[in-house]
Amino acid sequence: MRHANLVEAFQNILPSESVLFEPEDLRPYECDGLSAYRQLPMIAVLPGNEAEVIEILKICEAEKIPVVARGAGTGLSGGALPHADGVLLSLAKLNEILEIDPVACTARVQPGVRNLAISEAAETYGLYYAPDPSSQIACTIGGNVAENSGGVHCLKYGLTVHNILKLRVLTIEGDVLEIGSEALDSSGFDLLALMTGSEGMLGIISEITVKLLPKPETARLVMAAFDDIEKAGAAVANIIRAGIVPAGLEMMDKMTIAAVEEFIHAGYDPDAEAILLCESDGSNEVVANEIEKIRDIMHESGAVRIDTAHSDAERQRFWAGRKAAFPAAGRVSPDYYCMDGTIPRKHLAEVLRRIEDLSLEFGLRCMNVFHAGDGNLHPLILYDANRSGELEKAEAFGARILEICIEAGGSLTGEHGVGIEKLNQMCLQFGDAERDLFHAVKAAFDPDSQLNPGKAIPSLRRCAEFGAMHVHRGEEKFPDLPRF
Amino acid sequence: MQTRLDEQFQNTPQGREAETILRSCVHCGFCLATCPTYQLSGNELDSPRGRIYLIKQLLEGQEVTRKTQLHLDRCLTCRACESTCPSGVEYARLLDIGRNEVEQTIKRSPIDRMLRFALRKVLPNRSLFAFVLKSARLSRPLLPERLQRMVPAQPKIRQNPPQANHPRRMLVLQGCVQPALNPDINHAAERVLDKLGIALVDAQQAGCCGALAYHLDAQPEGLDAMRRLIDAWWPYIANPDKLIEAIVVTASGCGVMVKDYGRLLKHDSAYAEKAARVSELAKDIGEIVAAERPELTRLLENCPAPEAEAIAFHAPCTLQHGQRLDGVIESILQTAGFRLTRVGDTHLCCGSAGAYSIVQPHIARQLRDNKIAALTRDDPAIVVTANIGCQMHLQSGTQLPVRHWIEILDQVLCGQTEDRFP
Amino acid sequence: METIVEQLTKYVVKANENKQALCIRGGGSKDFYGNPKGLHDSKLETGPYRGIVDYDPTELVVSARAGTPLNELESLLSEHGQMLAFEPPDFNGTATLGGCIASGLSGPRRAYTGAARDFVLGIKLLDGQGRILNFGGRVMKNVAGYDVSRLMTGAMGTLGVLLEVSLKVLPKPESERTLCFELPVEQALETMRRCAGKTLPVSASCHIDRRLYIRLSGIESAIDAAHVKLGGDEFGDSLSFWESIKNQTHPFFRGNKRLWRLSLKPTAPPFSITGEQAIEWGGALRWFAAAKDYDATAVRAQTEKAGGHATLFRGKDPNIPVFHPLPPDLLKIHQRLKRQFDPAGIFNPQRLFPEF
Repeated sequence: MRHANLVEAFQNILPSESVLFEPEDLRPYECDGLSAYRQLPMIAVLPGNEAEVIEILKICEAEKIPVVARGAGTGLSGGALPHADGVLLSLAKLNEILEIDPVACTARVQPGVRNLAISEAAETYGLYYAPDPSSQIACTIGGNVAENSGGVHCLKYGLTVHNILKLRVLTIEGDVLEIGSEALDSSGFDLLALMTGSEGMLGIISEITVKLLPKPETARLVMAAFDDIEKAGAAVANIIRAGIVPAGLEMMDKMTIAAVEEFIHAGYDPDAEAILLCESDGSNEVVANEIEKIRDIMHESGAVRIDTAHSDAERQRFWAGRKAAFPAAGRVSPDYYCMDGTIPRKHLAEVLRRIEDLSLEFGLRCMNVFHAGDGNLHPLILYDANRSGELEKAEAFGARILEICIEAGGSLTGEHGVGIEKLNQMCLQFGDAERDLFHAVKAAFDPDSQLNPGKAIPSLRRCAEFGAMHVHRGEEKFPDLPRF
Repeated sequence: MQTRLDEQFQNTPQGREAETILRSCVHCGFCLATCPTYQLSGNELDSPRGRIYLIKQLLEGQEVTRKTQLHLDRCLTCRACESTCPSGVEYARLLDIGRNEVEQTIKRSPIDRMLRFALRKVLPNRSLFAFVLKSARLSRPLLPERLQRMVPAQPKIRQNPPQANHPRRMLVLQGCVQPALNPDINHAAERVLDKLGIALVDAQQAGCCGALAYHLDAQPEGLDAMRRLIDAWWPYIANPDKLIEAIVVTASGCGVMVKDYGRLLKHDSAYAEKAARVSELAKDIGEIVAAERPELTRLLENCPAPEAEAIAFHAPCTLQHGQRLDGVIESILQTAGFRLTRVGDTHLCCGSAGAYSIVQPHIARQLRDNKIAALTRDDPAIVVTANIGCQMHLQSGTQLPVRHWIEILDQVLCGQTEDRFP
Repeated sequence: METIVEQLTKYVVKANENKQALCIRGGGSKDFYGNPKGLHDSKLETGPYRGIVDYDPTELVVSARAGTPLNELESLLSEHGQMLAFEPPDFNGTATLGGCIASGLSGPRRAYTGAARDFVLGIKLLDGQGRILNFGGRVMKNVAGYDVSRLMTGAMGTLGVLLEVSLKVLPKPESERTLCFELPVEQALETMRRCAGKTLPVSASCHIDRRLYIRLSGIESAIDAAHVKLGGDEFGDSLSFWESIKNQTHPFFRGNKRLWRLSLKPTAPPFSITGEQAIEWGGALRWFAAAKDYDATAVRAQTEKAGGHATLFRGKDPNIPVFHPLPPDLLKIHQRLKRQFDPAGIFNPQRLFPEF
């Protein structure tokens, strides 16, 4: 079908303002939160309800047109990067909270509902939705499911996959699947887990039932400052060893502290080499007990300053600093490139040292924010996209960081997804057979590969080409890094 | 974000300023969450990030049309996005640059141009506006109901303010539409400050602060209004014998503008210094009263506590996002013994936004109705705010009285019990 | 000498060539579970492939081979003050890690700390073509590629042979106490619901024989506080009671009756079909021992209405599929996935659904 006919077909089912097809209108949709990758879609559509989404998919299926779903466009891996010959399907208008069941502690919502909006709506009942990615103010729950988002509290409360019960999924073939149930499990394969984190490649999510938790009776936060990042790393291991599973356990390095302080004035120690934020929540008794233990451990691990937030407002401020850490990099540098590798915690000090070396090697600064509790690193590589060659340098730097994470027995992405940016590293983390099977899984849902094609799972050819480029210099990399 | 500005903008002050702002945006999308228009439309083009992109596209030399203008027009300039932005993007400034540029390139329809022209000519002109308003009020019974509600009722004017003569003196901005719509606001301010030992001085020649024209696509006209206001004030400010402590503004929408004079006129050598001084002196009435809290508390001890009616406070965007005075007035009201109700989504604009409610009536009405729903959820007896525009706009959508907070503080402090909450 | 994995691979490759069905078996503790048809197929024994691969208590992760006996794994964790928080049943004591994950069954703690699938971090899998594949890993967070590890949980071995599993583990609670209340079913459900909406240190709940048992776990002071809030008598033999529920040695589960496992919305009303019932998981799991002449269709219909699914857990009936039948569109996806992982259909045919 010609472009004009296609536009007309969409205009027949949608209000005219909901079909964007001229470059002027499409440009703001050319990227998500990772603006280094940009691509104009052929057409962008903004349906307002599920019925319209179904109609859109029908047209795309009939014409075999690629479909890329998009929520709020806050993703950091280019997962919602449009396809040049495809339709960008914005689900932002499907933003209704359909039902909150305070007795069963569940909420049924549309995919365009903001993560934080769920907790705000549930607050009346003393409930909340636990996963809290840093972009929770803006990111949509549909996007959270697609990426299996985490947050700063996932060591204790889990990722998105642990906090959803049921999905309504529209397949490109026109089926409406009810996956999961209002019970704690369901018959057959765990498709709920398979859909979560599938980056919009298996189906379009049109409804989500999430689990709500009772708001903890109390929550307290300890901020500990260290003059040595290794001591901070040891403190993390000591806390876990003591049998404590903190609600949140975050680390920030010196440059991050400085960038964040300017915006939030959170009260972090500006002289520290690293700070740890450690939160305990639950009943008054548990929290009092844990906070005391945590303070002791921090002290024994060599913290130079230990503050316990005195009020909820102060606690929120400590967290606000952490949650604003990425964009606050915008105050230090015009552009930043955020990595998302995970590692076994015990290799933290080693990996951070490597990153520091690379920073010197590439001549680019790097801020480190770290979900210390669950081993998820977020090095932010600072660069200036207006200087020619710097983006490429940042990418190369980032790729090296991910390779280190994989070698350390970790993963190239903990919560941001592979999207478009980490395709090459997928060739390192997985072998041909695994990738082959990933493609097979996709084919079971989307036989003609129309949903978000080209993302998340690299083609076998791409990996072959990348492998040829990726010369290992005939020697073992990082010989002093223990083998895993 | 990467930028490749078109040659024609690379060396202009606006172009350079725009580029700096664009570069500070990292495209994170946090602003989408607090943008009132994006909340309604779900369209990236009606979000701050989308508009930044539209402006970027314009400055990078891509062809733009009436559509870009439409999406920029739809921005309320409420600046909630600036409060949310962790990267410190000066969005409103970028929008001003973008709007001005679009205005040069895209021709508006004759009707649109006429409406904007009329608004710019009538609203800032105190006597002309008073005349129009009076005519409208007279013909009110003849109008259809929907239009009737748009014409604000005649407020009850109470006793004239005292002619105070305190050593502490402050200038007061009369404003343009406020004296005709509700002269009692400034009277109340005068009475309250009188109790606090401060005299208010009115500069005779002072007119509109320039905000209306500046935000209605006539930035040069707005800047002229600013210069005129500075000229009217300057003799008072420069007089060493009768020192002026501050310039008091009772409408937060005007306040945010006056506080910005210094920046807007910094390239005008004749006015740069004066403008900076004016901005430095400008204070919202809330800031002035808050600074006198010990005296206020003492005065309140001798006043009967206000009736236990609950009030809902609507923080104008120009107050909370523009002037960053979140919580100041709320705390004064609590000190005065009022019970504030819980209000959801306090960061969202009510849709008034200067002349926005007239040029974008559809969006403005939706925002107003949402705002009223949020304000009245906890069943308040009265809604109070801090800006005449919000007050009028909200009043057009509810039976509940909507007042300026200084009026109700005045009632407590100055014992005016008659016609309590009309 | 040939390694065990090489042997297993050889078996699978051969079976794939000959389209010969294989019954994957660890310790045999769950032979009773699932459609029985394939139980007499040739066995693929995973029991010999056992042992801990990696365990670092400060990482909260353990990796072990599929044939590792559950009780061996659990006692190792216990030595370090840690546990498998989903409290998997080991029935007759021969259960292995592989079977535990393949069946996806979780014990009393499930409603409060999560299910088997929630703790799976990574797997090593032998697929239908004899390929050894690695998915997930040994880190808490990993979203690279589709979540094939969790897909294996509860797939009853129909998609491949689990060789190794990495699990997240949690510290064991300092202390535990079980409260007991004499309550009829409606009130017991009500109490369970009340607990769910509050931050109480509840780690298990069960209504059985007109008694409601609630287990509290954590530090002593928190347990005391919760005990005061909930009331009830302290029940003496806490440990063996919960063991008997987990492993179904409690008298309620004994005998040759048809035992249904009903997984439904926790707020669903008590089951109205005649028979005995026991309730777990805050109301989300109901065990239903059917009376002699009951209507299986009605059981499934009523469970579906309550937002869940019904499994004929014990006591076979040739006319009734064990697992709740899938709607056609979901079945289609299942069949396609099965074909991708196991093209010749050799792994545990029909154990899960009669269609594959």
